[in-house]
Formats: sequence, structure tokens, C-alpha cells
Amino acid sequence: MAGADDESGVREEFLSEAQEIVETLSRDLLLLEQSQKEGRNDPDLLNDIFRAVHTLKGLAGMFGLSSLQTLAHTLENLLDDLRLGRVDLTQEALDILFDGIERIQRILASGDEQSPLDISDLEKSIDRVAEAVPGERDVLRDFSLGENVLGVLTEYEEHRLRQNVTQGTPIYRLRVSFGLSLIDTALEELKARARPLAELITFLPSMGAADEDVIDLEVLLASAVDQEMLREALCTGEALLEPITRKDQPPRQVERPRPAAPRGEAAAPKAEATPAARPAVPPPGASRAEEGDAVEPSVVEASSLPNARTPNTNVALDRVGADALSLRSVANTVRVNIQKLDHLMNVVGELAIVRSAVAQITERLRSHPELRYLSTELHRIARGFERNLTELQDGILDVRMVPLGQVFDKLARVVRQTARDARKEIRLEVKGSETEVDKLIVEELSDPLMHLIRNAIDHGIESPERRKELGKPVQGLLGLTAYQKGNHVVIDVSDDGAGMDPQRLRRKAIERGMVADDEAHEMSREDLLNLVFMPGFTTSETITDLSGRGVGMDVVKTNISKLGGVIDIHSEVGKGTIVTITLPITLAIISALVIRVAGQLYAIPLANVQEALLLDSRAIRTVEGREVMTLRGGTLPLCRIRELFRMGEHVDTGRGSRQFVVVSQLGTRRIGLVVDLLLGQQDIVIKALGKSLRSVRGFIGATDLGDQAVTLVLDTPQILEEVLASNDRRGLEASP
Amino acid sequence: MKVLPSMTPGVVRDSDGKLRTGEVAYEFLAFKLGMETYAFPLAGVQEILKPPRITRVPRASPEILGIVSVRGRVTTVIDLRRRLRLTELPLDKNTRVLLVDAGNEVLGMLVDAVLQVYRLYEDEVELASSVGGDLNEYVMGIGRPRAVRTLGRATNQDRNDPNDILILLHAEPLLRR
Repeated sequence: MAGADDESGVREEFLSEAQEIVETLSRDLLLLEQSQKEGRNDPDLLNDIFRAVHTLKGLAGMFGLSSLQTLAHTLENLLDDLRLGRVDLTQEALDILFDGIERIQRILASGDEQSPLDISDLEKSIDRVAEAVPGERDVLRDFSLGENVLGVLTEYEEHRLRQNVTQGTPIYRLRVSFGLSLIDTALEELKARARPLAELITFLPSMGAADEDVIDLEVLLASAVDQEMLREALCTGEALLEPITRKDQPPRQVERPRPAAPRGEAAAPKAEATPAARPAVPPPGASRAEEGDAVEPSVVEASSLPNARTPNTNVALDRVGADALSLRSVANTVRVNIQKLDHLMNVVGELAIVRSAVAQITERLRSHPELRYLSTELHRIARGFERNLTELQDGILDVRMVPLGQVFDKLARVVRQTARDARKEIRLEVKGSETEVDKLIVEELSDPLMHLIRNAIDHGIESPERRKELGKPVQGLLGLTAYQKGNHVVIDVSDDGAGMDPQRLRRKAIERGMVADDEAHEMSREDLLNLVFMPGFTTSETITDLSGRGVGMDVVKTNISKLGGVIDIHSEVGKGTIVTITLPITLAIISALVIRVAGQLYAIPLANVQEALLLDSRAIRTVEGREVMTLRGGTLPLCRIRELFRMGEHVDTGRGSRQFVVVSQLGTRRIGLVVDLLLGQQDIVIKALGKSLRSVRGFIGATDLGDQAVTLVLDTPQILEEVLASNDRRGLEASP
Repeated sequence: MKVLPSMTPGVVRDSDGKLRTGEVAYEFLAFKLGMETYAFPLAGVQEILKPPRITRVPRASPEILGIVSVRGRVTTVIDLRRRLRLTELPLDKNTRVLLVDAGNEVLGMLVDAVLQVYRLYEDEVELASSVGGDLNEYVMGIGRPRAVRTLGRATNQDRNDPNDILILLHAEPLLRR
């Protein structure tokens, strides 16, 4: 059942990714052409293009699309030569690149990635470009650079140095020292400062630092900007900048490159240039020969024209269609980093705060009869705003949704394999693969589900012989059923196997000393079945490769709870077992600060926390009866959580009178929440409170912090609203 | 009597050994609150728990004790004594939390002790509407078991007085205030 869907899904994935790479490539190539026309040189851009083609090649290889792979490989070789300066970036070379990209585009658009492709014409053009290369004489020897420097440069670095020299860009040496512990950040900082002004060619650590914890670096850089400006930008602290001059000539004079070593020499190291990429690809020579045999060599003259389109095996008429297609995206999808969606969601959260503020103003206007019409108007607008906001929120959530079929398809293969290994006959019945859940949840689901399936096949479903004896169908039935239930998605993994015997579980648990005797006898049927989720619990007498080691079910449970889900077991001896996973449709894992007030723990979403500091009681002042403190010159209203929650004077143990302030900011407004203790940061899954607590303000939900007690998660925006609004009211009452 | 769920028509043996057939019986789980005996329809009771660690929810209404995590589900726990305006007692070893389906959500109900399951016939139940008087909306009716027909394990044998009455509760209105 999964086969066709699976393949088309994979194909879709590939197409959308390849399409994206090609689009970036075309854009970068245009930029490259532009900079080439302006006589500039953009090594970073060339590197980007090289890497993109390399990625495309890898992708094509992964999906077994040999023609695309060969084409990408050929282009990659040319790009490598260009990058290392073995071939000049001429208009002709650019044309070849454009032509290559266009062919890739055409292959993708035609949807026919499999048929053999003739690229001999392209290869011929590449060879011609490569031969035309004016070699380079070693201009570097003229420089006052020691062999110790020149000897350790990589081919690429050497090329960049040479290129800059050839272009007449002055070369500088920058000597800097960094503390060993800070080197990474310091280096990044230096790079960031230098990048707009200069090209950094290499970093060489130099010997002889006085201090063991200090590394001296020699940085070679090329820069056309004024030396003083460069010094100002780069020389912080003890850095030393000096120009590297030509031994016999004043700097800045450009020397024409002289005829150089034959190309054969330059080509030799090429074989090692991308060693990782090689093995996956047939030797270029081989494919060249094959394809050369299969297809007539194409028109050569055409490719010497700028942007020439060389005919491939398609007839001209087809090509018109293909060209038209190539301008359009193949897949109608966009790949988006999930973090961008998280960000959008946060923005929606901010808007929700705006909405509640507007609602409050509306409410206040209502008490002024002369402003009634304004309040009505505002109310109407706020309602519209709210509607759109909800729609926006739903829309973003919807974008994150993917069908569960994505994991189910993978699991179908697991079922086949596991059944074969266990020598059992299994029929898999999948229902509801179209049910959608949050992308992050799907990612995290495959392992737990795989485990449950293996358990069901290994422990649940009996051997074919046994089933025959029992009068059951020889083929065991394994069900994967997904459906939506309110705000949750339910996934059932069911089997028609032997089921679990609660009495046997009880015996095992006592045997293994996991529960006390009397405790075990008080346990309900549910409790007994839930024993399987205890770490180390197994009923298997023998340990197989698949399961029975007692690791697994507890891990399954932990993984599901991490997603904010719950797992239940229903089982009947002789009839089978159903494991039910209930998951929230969207996942809300957030980082939170855990704090304590009056002996109670609370979590504050870190997104709402600006900083946390020790409360200095001497810094507290009152403004109209409200406590405030001064924080960096601004007034910070304080809110004692203990008082807000009317928690009484619980004495918190052993830290004297110290208290902390958690500063929370919303837009331009801040509030300091006074708490007893900061316990640290933790990733939590927020679970909604029941409807019975809907009217309680100040909490967005609760979370399990790992130990048994549930911890409430503070709704800081709401608390801020509440506290500041009551301050405002006092202000109003006080003023007239 | 369609307000009563959990219909189990069939053959039932009385404690006096007589078979009663063809009548409709309803199952209730009886529990103690103070001096009175209450019962929820058995079908709505999902689980009986020893009181787990309860997290207080500041600013919630007083009868809400707090929240607990039942196998990963955040569940609100209600102190039935407070809700029914009975005097409060400290928790002891018999205190239990009943997980009861209250329609919108599953609630935990803190009770003093769980007694037993009663199977009541139509003629043993007086519906609130026929009782009249000033009964709260969460009272479904009054059960008057003629004789003890124990289905579950009785934890409190002294409740087997034939004059016992059960106050039958609806879970859902317990939430509404």
C-alpha cells in the first residue's frame, strides 16, 4: 500500500529541493556574471556555486538519477577549476555554466530524470575553455613571504593570494594574539570586522608565543582600502598590521601574468580536490565514452555563442515546451525552516496581547457615556481584528502540519522486515494516514511507533502454527489507526495476538522486586498493564534480537510524554492488545525558567524573561502605593508573586531574606516579578489546563518537570496586563 | 429513567438467593463523605487513585484543590466536601481520588473512602424530580437499596444497614457554579 505513495513523496521531496538549489544557482550565476563584467572577483560567490552544484550532485546520486549526477559532476569539475584559478572565469565559461544549469532545469521540468543525456557538447566546450587558460607564473616568489608561509598554503589559498597579487590588490600581514579560551569567538569577530574591507586569505598560527595560553596568529589578507583605515578597523589591542611588499618593486603595480606551466601539471592535483565526492560517481572518462557512443556529437559552433543552447536528444518542438516549463517551478511547494514559523507564531502571540489591550480600552471607554459611539466602533474593529488573528494563527499551525502517512510508510517497511525476522505472517492495516500532526511530532514519532510494532509482532502475534491451533487466521493482523479527536490526534497500534495477562504481569513485577507484594495486590487492571512502562520490565523468558530486553517500553513512554502525549494499553488475553497514543496536534516545547515562590514551583517561559537579578530591598520605592525599583535608570514596577497569588507568609527555607526579580518585557512595558528562588532553565511541554480552570487567570498551562508533581506555567503577558491595568486604574482614581 | 446511564438488564441474583429477571439495573459506585453515602454512576468512573501530589492552583475557586498528572494528563481535582459544603477533614489512609467523566473533561474527585458498587433496580431509585424539595442540581436522585448486593469488595462493612440511602450524583453539574 505504501509503495506508490512513498515513492511519489520521496520524488516530490527531491524535486522541491533540487528546484530550490537550481533557483539559487541561477541567481548566483547572474550575480557572478555581473561581478565578472564589472571586473570584480567574487571568490565567495564562486564557492557558493561550487558547493550548490556539489550538493545537487550528491542529491542526484542519492536518488539514483545518473544523468543528472553526471551533468552536475561535469559542472562541478569546471567550477573547481575556476575556483582554484586553473581556468579563467571568462564569458565563455559563464555561458557553459548557464547552459548546464538550464539543462538541469529542463531535466527537472520534464519529470524525466532517468533517460540518458548527451552532454558531450558541453564537455567539449569545457575542454576548450580549459585549454585557453593563460597559465600563471609564480608571482608569489617576488614577495617577501617566507617559505614557511608559502609552503603551508592550501591550493585554494595560494590561488586567492596569487589572484589578488595579479589584480594588484595590496597584501597585508596582520599579527594578532588571542587567549586560548576565547579564540573561537575572537576569530569570528575579527572575520566579521575584516570581511567588508578585505579578503582574508589564511590564518597561520605562529610559534614562539610567550604565554602558553595565548596563540599568536598571522593573518594574510588582501585589501584595496586605505592602509590607515584598515589598521583602524582591525588593530584593536595588540594587533599589528604591516603591508607585504614586493622584493624589488613598489606595491600596487600590476604585473601581467606570464605563460606558465602546462595545464597537465595544474590538472594533476585536481583528482584530490574533492576526494569525498569521487567514489559515488563513475569516472568521467567512462561516462563520456559511453554517452559519446550512444548519441551523435552535437553542434559545436553553437556553444561558442553567448548563452548558446545546444540541442540535446529532444527534438526541437519538444524543446519549446520544455523551455517554457523550465521557467516555472516544478513542485508547488516551499521548504521553510520550522524556526521561521515559530517566529511567526511568536509574533501572533504579541498581537494577541495587543488585542487584549484594545479590549481593555474598549471596556474603559464604555464607562464614559459621551464616548459610547467610539467604544462601539472600537469594539467592532477589535472583533474584526480578533477574527483575522485567529485565522492567521490557524493558518500558521496548518502550515506546520504533515500527514502521519509520512511515518506510516516507513513503518510498513519495518513491519515487513520484522515479520520476516520473526517468521510470522502479518497483515498490516493502515487507516487514517491522512491525519495531520505537527511536523516536529511526526519526526519524534517514528521511533516509539517502531518499537510498539516490533513488540506487537514479537510478543503479541503468535506463530502461524500456534494461531492455527487456536483457530485464528494464520495471518496476524497489525493495525495502525490514526484519527483526530478534538485537539488531539490518536494513534492506535493494535494486534490480534495473545494479549497481556494482568496476573502474569503482577507475578513478574513481584518476582523482579519492582513492586511490593501487598502493593501489587491492590493494583487495578490498568495499573498492572501499565507495569510494562516501568524501566527494566520484561515478561519475556528469552531475549530476542527484537525485544525482550526490558528496555523500550519505558523509553517509548518517555518519548511520548516529551511530546506532551499519553499512552494507554488495553489488552485482552487471547484477543490482542491495543496501544493508544494520544498526542496534541501541535507541539509546544519551550524553554522555561523554573522559580519557587512560597514553596511552590512555577515555570516562566524564557521568551518572556528579559533578565533575572537579585532583589536589593533597599532599591525598592513606592509610587502611589505600588512597589517599584530602579533598573538601569528606568522605573520597573514590581509584582510580588506571593501576594498576587495570595500565598500567605510561607517561610522559604535557608536563604535568609534574599529574593529575586525576574524582569519580563512586553513591547515597551516591563515588570519585575518578585520570586523566592531561581531554580534554573528547562525545556518543558506545556499542557493545557482543564476547562474547569478556564476562568483562572495567570497561567497558560502546566507541565511535568520530571518529578511527580505538576508545575504551573505562568502567563507572564497576562500577569503584566493585570498588574499594569490595576496600576492604571489606581492612577485614574487618584487623578480626578 | 433515561437520565440513568449504565443499564445492565439481565439476570441478577439477590442476596436472599432469589433470581430477579427481566428488570433493569443500574450500577453505582458508592463512597463516603462525612456521615453520608454518595454514589456516581459506575460507567462514568474511570479510575480510583490514592491521592497523588496535588499542585495548588492559585486564585482558583476554593473547591478546586489543584491539579495532578494522571499518566501525563493534567487533571483538575475537586474537593467534594467543599463543593457539597460539608465540614472538612484531613486526608487519611482511606482518602481516594475518583476520576470521573464530567462531560467536558475528566475530573478528579476527592472522597473520604470508596465503599462498594451497588446495583439498583428501577424501583430502588427515587429521581430528584420526584423527591421534590430543595435538592441541588447535581443530585440525580436517591437510591434505596433493599438489600445488600455486593458486586465489588466492600471496604466498610458497617454501611450494610438496610435503611441506608445513597445520594446519587451527576458529575457534570458539579463543575457549574
